[in-house]
This record gives sequence, C-alpha cells and structure tokens, in this order.
Amino acid sequence: MKSRWLKWGKIILLFGVLFALPSAITDRYFQHIMVLSCIYVILASSWNLLAGYSGLLNLGHAAFFGIGAYSSALLAIHTGLSPWLGLLVGAVISALFGVGLGVPALRLRGPYLAIVTIGFSEIIRLVSMNWVDLTRGSLGLSEIPPLTPIKLAQNFQLGFVTERNAYYVILICTILTLFVIRKLVKSEFGLTLESMREEEDGAESIGINTSQYKLVIFMISAFIAGFAGGLYAHYVRLLSPETLSLHETFTVLTMVAVGGIGTFVGPIIGAVFLTVLSEALRFFEEAINLDIRMVIYGALLMVTILFMRKGIVGVYYSLFGSHAEERER
Amino acid sequence: MHTAKEVIMNGKTISCCLLFLACVGLVSFSNNVNAANTIDIGFTGPFTGPVAFNGGEMRKGAMLAVDEINAKGGLFGMKVNVVFGDDESQPQKGVAAVKKLISRDKVIVVGGGYHSSVAIATSEVCEREKTPNVIAVAVSPTIMAKGYSYIFRTAPDAFQMTDGLFAWLAVRKPKTVAFLMENSDYGRDSEKIWLAEAKKLGASDLAHLYFQIGDADFTTQISKLKSLKPEVTFSIGSTTEEALITKQSKELNYVTQWVGAGGHMTEEFFKMVGLDSLYIIAGSNEPTLAMKDPVTAAFVKAYTAKYDGARAGVFSSQGYDNMVVILDAIKRAGKPSGDLQKDRDAIRGALTKTSLNASQGLIQFDKTGQITKARSMAVQVQKVQGKAQLVVIYPTELANGVYQPPVPWSER
Amino acid sequence: MESLFLQQIANGLIIGSIYCLMAVGLTMIFGVMKISNFAHGDFLMLGSYFAIYTTLCLTGWVGWISAMFIAAVGVGIIGFLAERWLFRPMMLRNADIDVLMLSIGLSIFIANAAHVLFGSSPKMLTDPFRSQNIDLFFFSTSLIRIFSFFLSVLAIIVLQVFLTRTKTGTAIRATSQNRNASMLMGIDTGLIFGLTFVIGSAFAGLSGVLYGTIVTITPTMGGLPTLKAFAITIMGGMGSIKGAIYGGLILGIAEALGGNYISMDYKNAIGFIIIIVILLFMPEGLFGRKGR
Repeated sequence: MKSRWLKWGKIILLFGVLFALPSAITDRYFQHIMVLSCIYVILASSWNLLAGYSGLLNLGHAAFFGIGAYSSALLAIHTGLSPWLGLLVGAVISALFGVGLGVPALRLRGPYLAIVTIGFSEIIRLVSMNWVDLTRGSLGLSEIPPLTPIKLAQNFQLGFVTERNAYYVILICTILTLFVIRKLVKSEFGLTLESMREEEDGAESIGINTSQYKLVIFMISAFIAGFAGGLYAHYVRLLSPETLSLHETFTVLTMVAVGGIGTFVGPIIGAVFLTVLSEALRFFEEAINLDIRMVIYGALLMVTILFMRKGIVGVYYSLFGSHAEERER
Repeated sequence: MHTAKEVIMNGKTISCCLLFLACVGLVSFSNNVNAANTIDIGFTGPFTGPVAFNGGEMRKGAMLAVDEINAKGGLFGMKVNVVFGDDESQPQKGVAAVKKLISRDKVIVVGGGYHSSVAIATSEVCEREKTPNVIAVAVSPTIMAKGYSYIFRTAPDAFQMTDGLFAWLAVRKPKTVAFLMENSDYGRDSEKIWLAEAKKLGASDLAHLYFQIGDADFTTQISKLKSLKPEVTFSIGSTTEEALITKQSKELNYVTQWVGAGGHMTEEFFKMVGLDSLYIIAGSNEPTLAMKDPVTAAFVKAYTAKYDGARAGVFSSQGYDNMVVILDAIKRAGKPSGDLQKDRDAIRGALTKTSLNASQGLIQFDKTGQITKARSMAVQVQKVQGKAQLVVIYPTELANGVYQPPVPWSER
Repeated sequence: MESLFLQQIANGLIIGSIYCLMAVGLTMIFGVMKISNFAHGDFLMLGSYFAIYTTLCLTGWVGWISAMFIAAVGVGIIGFLAERWLFRPMMLRNADIDVLMLSIGLSIFIANAAHVLFGSSPKMLTDPFRSQNIDLFFFSTSLIRIFSFFLSVLAIIVLQVFLTRTKTGTAIRATSQNRNASMLMGIDTGLIFGLTFVIGSAFAGLSGVLYGTIVTITPTMGGLPTLKAFAITIMGGMGSIKGAIYGGLILGIAEALGGNYISMDYKNAIGFIIIIVILLFMPEGLFGRKGR
C-alpha cells in the first residue's frame, strides 16, 4: 500500500515539475528547446518500438514523421481542416504508409531490411522535393496554421503560437503517447514482439503469426511518428524535405541508442539529453570555432554500441542494482 | 517495505536530486540577463555547407563595414557587435537561427540572408516578431511581394538582375533556347522570367531540365541538350554545380551559348574550371567591373587591403552594403533606449527613409522595401592576357568589351 | 553517327563501372564477415581527399598514379584500424542491428571529422587528361572516363584472379562460404577478416579517386555512394562479386536511361525502386545464397 502511494507521489511530483518548467525557464529560446525535446521523445519512442522491442531496424523512420507533418500541414492549408483533426489524419496516413513499408519488410532481415527502409525514405523524400506543385519542394512549405485556439471564456482564448502554450499541449500529448506505449509494451502483444526479436524462428514454431505482428507494429510506430510530425508541423509552421532526410533518422537512432535501446525510458532520456546537448554544443562550437557537434554524435554512437550496449539506462542499472531493473522492464 | 532512509539513499532518489540541481542550474543560466554595452546586430547566412564560400564572402564584406565603424568609435559610443546565425542552406535551420538571434541574443535588426528559400522563411519570423530584417543577397520576388513592413532588401530582385542581360538577349535574338535549372526558388523564379523574355523575342523553348542542389552527375541532362542543339542554354545553379556542368560539357563536347547568373562566377568557380569557362554570359553586378563609381572603387580598395589581396566579388559587396545600410539606419534612429521593441521600430522607420551611395550604387527603398534601382550588367568570360576574365558587354555605356560567340572545343 | 540512346548506354556503362568498383569491396566484406559497413561511402570520400592532396604535391601522371596508390593504401590502413578496434569486437556479439548502428556512427564520425579537417568548400580533382573529350563512333565522352572504365575492369579482374588462383584468396572464399568449416580446416579467420576488410576498404579508396573526377569533392559526398553500393550488392546478392558487377552495370545504365527517358528528378530513386522490386520476389537478391 505504502509503495503504491510512493509511486503515485513520485509521478505527480514529476508532472508538477514538468508543467511548472515554463514558469521557471522564461527564455523563449530554451522553451523552444523543451518543446523540441518532447517531440523527439515521441519520435524516439516510436522508433524504439520497431528497433528496440521488435528488432526491426527501420532506417526510413523520418519518412513517417514527414508524411504525418506534410499531410497535416497541407490539409490545413488547402482544405482548412482543423489542425487538431489534421494531427490524427496525418497520423493515419502515415500508418497506412507504415503498413505499406511493412509488407515488403516481412521477408527481410538485417541489412536487406535496412536498405529497403532507406530506399522507402529516400523515394518519399525525392517525391516531396520534386512534386513542387504539392509540397513546394525544397522551397519549403511555410505559413502552416498553428493549432486552432480554444475558446475558454467570453473574450479569452488559449492560442498555441507561443512556445509556452505549445509546450503545454505537446507535453500532454507526449505523456499520453508514452502511456499508450507503456501499456502496449507491458501487454502480451509486447511480450510477443520481444520474443520475435530474440528468436523469430522459435516464435513461429509455437504458432505466432510473425507477419501479422510485424505489420501491426509498423502501423503503430508509423502512426505515432506521423502524430509527432503533425505536432511539429503546427508548431514550427515550416516544413522542408530536410525533415525527411536520413540525417533525421540517424539523429533519432542515436537518441535511442544512447538512451538505451529496447527500454521504456531509454528513448526519453536519449531524446532530452541529445536535444539539450546539441544546443549546449552550439555555444561550445562558437567558442572554439569548429563544427564538432556531429563529430561528437558519431563518436558517442560508436562508444555506446561498443561499451554501453543498453545506453544510459544500462549504465544506470549496472550502477544502482538490478532488482530495480526487473521491476522497471 | 521502504523506510524513509532507504528511500533517500536509493540510487533513484539520488539521481533525481542531481537532475533537479542540474535543472536549477539551467534555469539560472537561462535567466541570466546579459547586460551588454554593445549594439547587437544579427547576421544570417550559409556559413557551412555547399555554399559556405559565398556565405563567407558575404560575411567578410559585412565585417569590413563593422570594423570601419568601430574604428571610428562605434555608434553612440558603443561598440557594434555582430552575432552570426548559420542557416546551413536549410530553411528550418535558418528559422531556428533567426529565432535565437531575436529572442536569445536580442538583436535590434537582422541582416544577411543568402538563399531565397531560407529568406522566405526567416522573413516570416522577423515580421511576426516585429524585428527589422534587411536581406543581403536573396533575389526571389516572393519575399517582398508579401508587403511586410519590417522586411527590406538591399539586393536586386530576380527582375532587376536581368536588365543588362536582356539588353544583350534583344540584340542576339536566339531562335532556340533550353533551360537547365536548379530545382529551387532561385532557379525556378529566374526560369520564369527568362522564359517570358525569350518568348517575347520569338524563341522556342526546347527543354526544361532540372537538377537538385548537390547533384554531381549531369551527363544525362547534357547528353539530352546536346541532341537538341539549342542556341542558348540558360542555367542557374551554385558554384559547384555550374563548375561541374561546365566541365562535363567539355567532356561531352557540348557547345552552346551558356547564360547564367553572375552569382556562381566567383573566384572559386574560376579556380575550378579555369579557361573552360570561356564564353559564358551572365548578369552581374561585380564591383571590380564598375570601378568608375568612386564608392565602389573605395570599397574594393578597402576590401583587398583588409583581406590580403582577396578579390572583392559580388557577395562581398552585397554583404558590405547590407551592413552599411543597417548601420546608417541605426545612426539615424537615434541612441537605443533599451526598450527592445521601441528600438526595433525606430530602426524600421529609419530604414524606410534610407538614401545613400553604396558599393552597388544608390540605395533607396520603395513601398515594399525593395531597392528602387539596381546596377546590372551583362558580362562574358573572355580570355584576357591568357586568363579567364569577366568582361562587361552590355549596357554599352559601361561596356569594356564586345560579345564573342562561342567556338567549338577543339578550337580553344 | 550520333545516337542519344547509345550515348546514354555508354554513359551508363562508364559510371556503372565505377559503381562496380565501389560495390565490390562492400560485398566482399559482407560475404566474408557478414558486416554491412555503412561507412563504405565515407571511405570512398577519404580516398578522394587523399587524391586531392597528393595531386597538389605531385603533378601530371606521376601525381595521378601516386594518388591512386596512396588512396588505396591510405584507406586500406584506415579500414584495418576500423576492423581491429571497432568491428572485430562486434563479431563476437552476433547482432545485426548493432553492427549497422556502429557503422552508422562511424559514418557520421568520419564525414564530420572530414568536414572539420578539410573544410566544406567543394574541391575538384583535375585529371591528367585535363577533361579532354574524345569522340568515338557512337558516342562521345572524356578520356578520363574511358580510363576509369578500363581501370575498374582491370582492378576487378585482378581481384578475381587473386581470389581464385592464390591460396590466400581461396581461404577468403572458403571463409565466406562457411566460417566454421574454414576454422576447422586451420584457416586463421582473424587474419582473413582483417585482410578482407583492408582489401574492401582499399577498393573503396580507389573508387574514390575515380569517382572524384566526376563529381565535386565534399566531406559529405560519401552518403550517396554508400546507398548505391548497398543497392548494388543487394541486387546482386550480398557476398557475390559477380552479382556486384552485374548490379553495378545495371544500375548505371538504368539511371542513365531512366533519367533520360522517364524523369531526371528521380534518377537517384531508380536504384531503390529496382532493389525493392527485386527483393519482393527474391529476398536474397539475384545471385544471393539462401539462408545465412
């Protein structure tokens, strides 16, 4: 009983701190970083579902993000669809593409899967660059409407243009998403995925239809990534094909690997850590006048894979005891 | 069961406390107001990436203007400080950089701006944040067409850039033309303008081909052009792509009258292609070709002196003029009061009344914030004293050479 | 007699030969060690930069031959170090994902380190023929491209001879076919791994010199060649050199023809579309082997 109270107490305290942050950190630039961190948390967690829990290395994840972003943005611009709905529609469209990618992925493993997912992502990127009439190509899609304000009282409405208000909304979305993912991962569905990751043939031998599971997880992962894309689109209000680049996917990959692939909090830690690190390094770069941010990323990724397989989470557990780990996982 | 002591000594709790302390540190760091006794100006551009060289030229020109004024004691007794924002040639990075300049660095005006695609996005941000933005290089007409009150441009737009070129085109009157353009705002906007002008002169357009920024192999496109044999091939791209196109044209033995924008004919370009660039024509506002203007000559002299003999190209002069106009506006707006928005609005007002002679000529802004006149010449690469040089061929009052039609590769 | 179609075929074959050179190294490494090296294109990039700095010091044909030699050896050494310190520890782990992610990290590291060291300004490699053009019967091209074509062919033939006629080469092929059996037969697989990686990397470096005469050289130029090399090796079946050759030529021609007759914009997507289609029907590639 007491531990139950303790657990909820900690969670409420955490939420309290998270919601209070914008009042403490008033600099709009830092608030912007907080918003970006949240979006990356969602994106990283969705990638982790595929690579971490299911063992499917998807190197085309940026495409799902971009499809969700562009769909929601274009619908808002051309049909006047409310961005709130657009978020969901974009996510659904992305999920459909997820299934589309899942189908060829069924029979592929390892590097074959990786290359096909890259191919998928690159083709989508080229389409977004060249179908200028639709996406304005590398000119970029600007003037995307923000999330429509909510009328609270007679003359008072809550807009979402400022970093602060956007943060509240996106934080709530992040928490909801993480909640859903947690439930998914802890369920029988999640356990099945992990068994597929460890020993696919073994799973098949006990009657699991791995193809079905793969398709479903691709769909879910793409849905969440597309949702993150929509949030991004209506916050930054500017899109370009760069959003769909391999560079984005690699960033997400690094976040999850460094945080702890295959764990629940890994992507969260990785996303926040790397977003903040990225900005901190910017100041450092200006000081020494060298572009070393990405060099550090690459080195960090290599070091993580070689020595800290489970990322920061792994290091933490190895330092502070494993019984906590069993409870967490 | 957990005793209080166990809870506190638990690794989790310790890490949470550390995290909390880190956040407190972050908060105090972020709220630290930088009380500066400087005038802070923002300046954006592609300082890394494929066109970093040109961005660097723009930057060097701007710094020349800043150093000149700081040497005279700055403005209102305060030193002028430029905060640079790297857009890495991408609109999203440009937006992030500008947001940082406006809200974190609290600059009173934002200058620079090289790529049209990036400038379209960053001008949106500046207008929304009510910060004056003076664009240095980007030429797309779309930027000013929105009629934003905080956005100005010290560079010619795509229309103004082509005046000299069109004088030549009207005389040459090609019957067939083709296009090999960069797939961007810059490329496509220019294509529309050139196509209209070519059609006016009765030419038929044989092909519209494109390439992406960063493409390296143009043999497919050039082979196609070779089979169509247009008299004039228009091409817009950055230094790298145009250098490769030039080189691969030679490799495939493709001869045509190339017409481009002077933007890519930088020092770097000539280093890469040398005499292979002969006969290319472009619209240009090269300062070294307009030395009859005393202000231009003074700029070139100061630039070459400061940067150890480096050639003062178009981007250097545009960066210089950009900063000169900004500094002049700040001076006329009066000493900054400390109220950021008030200062920004004062500068905006001062900008509208700008009238000064810069290295590109007289700078005055029209209702939309665009300069009223631009000096634009048609230049051709010709062999002068064994080296590839830019020669002005039109308009006649500024010309120092005549048009030479291209000869086959075997005869060069 | 000029024909656009034949011209495009010629263009395709020539660039295809350079693609083959790129892909051969990659497929060899995968065949023997089951490692997919995402940094392969970045090794190519290093080869290009080696060539630039060599030709700055030595001019003409001397510089050119030295450049090719230094690029191959230099990148070979880098490959040796990478294998020893980074990839060898991974071999014990038997996790595909880890190796891929590690090589992605290596790729990011090398590309950006090059950016810091060499600057981002694009550079051009002048070939010893000075871009001279040659008009052959059905098509025209440059002398350097003809040279590249024949050099690639020669290099691959030399490799094949090495693999089939020498003892070490046979050992490599044996390890590729069955690692455990090879170990039982007394082959020092550790040595074979190192050697394979060095050869594969050296080929990447050499292809960088040739590729560098076609494109401008930047620190991030390796990305696209990596993807194309992977596409080719998958098309041909990972581990099959014959497949890499066919794949490279097919890709080169497909890009040239597709770019000309279908669409210039999607030229780079052609490779991906082809492999997706192939993999749909033949999950092991055209000449791949069944199972792992």
